[in-house]
Amino acid sequence: MDLASMFLGGSASAMTSFFSLTFLFLFLPPCLIVYAAVPKAAKKYILLTASLIFFWLVSSVLIIYLFLTVLSVFLFGKWLDRIQIKMKAALSKTEKEKRKELKQQFVQKQRKVLLLAVLLHIGLLLVLKYSGFFTQNVNSLLWLMNVPIELEIPKLLMPLGISFFTLQAVSYITDVYHGLVKADKNILRLALFMSFFPQIVEGPICRYSQTAEQLWNAEQIRYKNLTYGLQRILYGMMKKLVIADRLNPMVKAIFDSPNNYHGGIIFLGAVCYTVQLYMDFSGSMDAVMGIAEIFGVKMPENFQRPFFSISISEFWKRWHITLGTWFKDYIFYPVTSTKKMKNLTSNARKKLGNHYGPLVAGGIALFCVWFCNGLWHGSDWNYIFFGLYHFVMILTGNMVTPLANKFFKKVRLDPNCFAYKVFRIVRTSLFVVIGELFFRSPGMGRGFELFGRMVSDFSFTGLNNVLLKKLSVDVQDFIIIAFTLAVVFIVSVLNEKGVCIRDQIAKRNIVIRWCVFYALIMFIIIFGAYGFGYIPVDPMYANF
Amino acid sequence: MDRLIEILEDIKPDVDYATCETLIDSHILESLDIISLIAELEEEYGVTIPAIEIVPENFNSAQRIKKMIERLEEEY
Repeated sequence: MDLASMFLGGSASAMTSFFSLTFLFLFLPPCLIVYAAVPKAAKKYILLTASLIFFWLVSSVLIIYLFLTVLSVFLFGKWLDRIQIKMKAALSKTEKEKRKELKQQFVQKQRKVLLLAVLLHIGLLLVLKYSGFFTQNVNSLLWLMNVPIELEIPKLLMPLGISFFTLQAVSYITDVYHGLVKADKNILRLALFMSFFPQIVEGPICRYSQTAEQLWNAEQIRYKNLTYGLQRILYGMMKKLVIADRLNPMVKAIFDSPNNYHGGIIFLGAVCYTVQLYMDFSGSMDAVMGIAEIFGVKMPENFQRPFFSISISEFWKRWHITLGTWFKDYIFYPVTSTKKMKNLTSNARKKLGNHYGPLVAGGIALFCVWFCNGLWHGSDWNYIFFGLYHFVMILTGNMVTPLANKFFKKVRLDPNCFAYKVFRIVRTSLFVVIGELFFRSPGMGRGFELFGRMVSDFSFTGLNNVLLKKLSVDVQDFIIIAFTLAVVFIVSVLNEKGVCIRDQIAKRNIVIRWCVFYALIMFIIIFGAYGFGYIPVDPMYANF
Repeated sequence: MDRLIEILEDIKPDVDYATCETLIDSHILESLDIISLIAELEEEYGVTIPAIEIVPENFNSAQRIKKMIERLEEEY
C-alpha cells in the first residue's frame, strides 16, 4: 500500500492499534505539532478535527453513525433542558403543597424523553451488533421445530467503537435527565467528548462530567505532560508488543486446534490468553492515558492491578473499571432503587437478616448487570455464559462469606494473614482463567468441551521443544515474557503501595532519566514482536 | 445522628462511624450494604432516595448521609 492510499477513508484500519507505525509516526506527530502550533482558542478544534479524521480513516462512511449519535444526543439533551426550564418556572409560581404533584408531572415527561433516547441508541446497537446472532438462533429454533424456513442472516457493518460511544451517549442523556450535568448547548463540544480519538477504539467509557470540559479547554503541551505521557505510552507498548503479541501465536495455535493437545496444554493456553488479554487491553489503555496526558487531559483509569484481587467481586472493581462503573450506575442501582425492589429488600431483611436479605434484590440486579455485561462483549452464547459465570461466582462469594467467617473464628485462623491472602489471589486468578477460557472459545459448546478436557485429561505430556515449535514459541520467548512480566509485577507492587514510578524517575538527574527512556525503547525494539514472521494483532477489545 | 449510627452499626458492625470519612472509597460499605441502608433510611426517615443520590459524596461518612437525608426531607 502506498502512502497516499493509506489516507483514504477506511484504508488505515491498522491505526486502531496505537502502537502501529502508521499511528505512531504518521498520525500522532502531525497532530501534536499542529496542536502545539495553534493558539489556545483553536486547540479544541484541532482535537476535534484529528478525532474525525481518525474515525474517517478507520471507518470511512460509517462515520455517519457517529454524526447521527452526536446529533441525536444533542437534540435529546436540549429537549430535556427545555422541560427542566419549564418545570423550574412552573414550580416557582406554585404553592409549596402542590409542588410535589406538579414536579411529578414534569418528571414523567422527562422520563418519556429519556426512554425514547435510550431505546433509540441501545436499539441501534442491538440491531447492528446482534441481529446476526438473533437470526441464527431463530433459524436453529425453526430447524429444531422442522419448519423449512431459513432466514437470511443480515450482515451489517459496525462502525469503530460503537459499543463504547453508545454507552457514553446513554450516560450523557441520563445525567442530563438527572440534572447531574447541564445539556450542552455546543454541539462541537459534545462531538469532541463523544469522538476523542485515543478513547474511541477501546474506551475508557467516560462520563460527560469527567472529560468534556477538560477536552474543550485544551491546554498547551507542557514538558511534564509530554514526558509523563510518552513514558506511559512506552510502558503500554512494552506490555503489548513484548508480552501480548509474543503470546498470540501460541494462544491462537492452541485455541484453533485444541483437539491436538492434552488438558494441561489447554490450561496453559487459557493462562496465556488471560495474560495476553490483560497486557493487550491494559497496554492499550496506557497508550490512551498517555496520549490524553500529553494534551493535558486526565482520563478515568480502566485498570487497577486486577490480579491482586482476593475475590471475583474485587477483580471486577479493578478490571475494565469504567465498564463496571457504567453498569453499576446505570443498571445495578436503578434496578435496586425501584419501589418494588426496595420493598423486597425491606421484607427480605426482616426474614433473612442483614446479610442475606439484600442479596435477593441485589441478586436480581446483579443478574441484569452480568447478562448485559456478557452480551456487551459479543454476540454469541459463550459471551452470555461468560457474564453469567461471573454472576454465579459473585453471588456465591457473597453467600459463602458469613459461613467462611464463622469457620475461621471456630478454627482460630486469621483470614487476613499473608498466606491466606496469597491463596485467595491464586484462587481468584484461577476462576478468572476459567472464565477467559469460555470467553476465547469459539462458541459455548466448544468452551465446555475444552473445560472438560482440561479437567479430565490434565496432563502436560508431550510438552517439549517439538511441541513448542509447533506452537510457534521457544524457550527464549518464555524467558523474555517471564522477565517482562517480572518488570510489570514489580511496577504493580510499587503502584499498589502508592509509589508513582514516573515521579521517581522525574526526581533523578537528566542522565538517569534518559537512560531509562532509551533502555525502554531499546528493550521494545529488541524484544517486541513485530516485523517478519509476526502477524500484527489488532487491539483485542476493539472488536467488542 | 445517634439513630443513624445505630442503623449503620446494625448493617455493618465494628466500624467507627463517628470518625470514618471513607465508607465508600475504602470499600467498607459495599453495594449490598448500600441497598440495605437505603431501604432502612427510607423506612426510618420517610424519604425517597433515588438511584442518582447513590454516589460516594453522599455515603462516605455518617455526617454526609445525614446531610443527604436533611436535603431530601427539605425537597419534599
